[in-house]
Amino acid sequence: MSDGSEEAGAAPESKQSKDPGRQVDPKLLEFLVCPVTHGPLKYDRAAQELISEQAGLAYPIRDGIPIMLAYEARELGS
Amino acid sequence: MQSPDPNHPIDPSDPAGTVDFGYRRVGASEKRGLVQDVFTSVAGRYDLMNDLMSGGVHRLWKRALIDLLRPRHDMHLLDVAGGTGDIAFRFLEAGGGAVTVCDLTESMVRVGRDRAVDKGLLSGAKDTRGVTWLVGDAQALPLADRSVDAYTIAFGLRNVTDIDRALSEARRVLRPGGRFLCLEFSTVILPVLDRLYDLYSFNILPALGQAVANDRESYQYLVESIRKFPKQEDLAARITAAGLAQADWRNLTGGVAAIHSGWRI
Repeated sequence: MSDGSEEAGAAPESKQSKDPGRQVDPKLLEFLVCPVTHGPLKYDRAAQELISEQAGLAYPIRDGIPIMLAYEARELGS
Repeated sequence: MQSPDPNHPIDPSDPAGTVDFGYRRVGASEKRGLVQDVFTSVAGRYDLMNDLMSGGVHRLWKRALIDLLRPRHDMHLLDVAGGTGDIAFRFLEAGGGAVTVCDLTESMVRVGRDRAVDKGLLSGAKDTRGVTWLVGDAQALPLADRSVDAYTIAFGLRNVTDIDRALSEARRVLRPGGRFLCLEFSTVILPVLDRLYDLYSFNILPALGQAVANDRESYQYLVESIRKFPKQEDLAARITAAGLAQADWRNLTGGVAAIHSGWRI
């Protein structure tokens, strides 16, 4: 079971996501929502994740590309 | 056996819950992964192959799509399944404002994003023009309701497991007054061309896929999936059923491809 941000679900390439040169455009959060709940997302810059509190999912950002697929997301607090 | 998910309606005449994957029947939950495999396999050579396969004609079709779209500097386009950026770049070059590309296959998006870096079109550079890259599913878009002015999907809808879900997602994210455009292979309506096209599709094209991309299977899938896709009038009916108005289409190259259009009102 996942107990921290180091373990990003089924994402084998997640170690690459910490690249500081690939930051997400903040404008993105104006229209990007959780694909499961359509609720808002919180950008966790350090972990390079987009957090959906409602769905309990953290979507990985790999090399600056948000991976907005529920089956690629890490479950929160599990 | 998994129980049916209410969000994934299954054809009652097909209790096994299978869908087309080319000419094979596969589990509804299996298709997504198979499609990802195909496009992961061809990502690096996808645009080159399109040129070779269509003799460059896909460029004319895409130009027709952009002409219909009439890009404006204040228009935000969502281009679905356009991972390599082909539609996105054309939209910007024709005066479009902003474009979000959403594709199921990460390696396709990486190809497009790297091309954007080369072209200097990355979002945030100098002005507001630019492309935002996302990995996402046409059937569960990660975009807010009424957030975009136009939705395009070019050679993508064929690969979606549940076309009707994708169409209703398109309607959801479009603003009122927003336009839906789908460019896709379709049904050839000219009597001689259809036989030539069969010959080309089933004999020449997979061989070309083998020779250029060393990947006959992916191109075999491509040919089969084209034949399984709904005919012009059937797709228009499904666009209407999804709640988009004035569903219509225009044939290209005698129906080898077609552009379907609809509006959110």
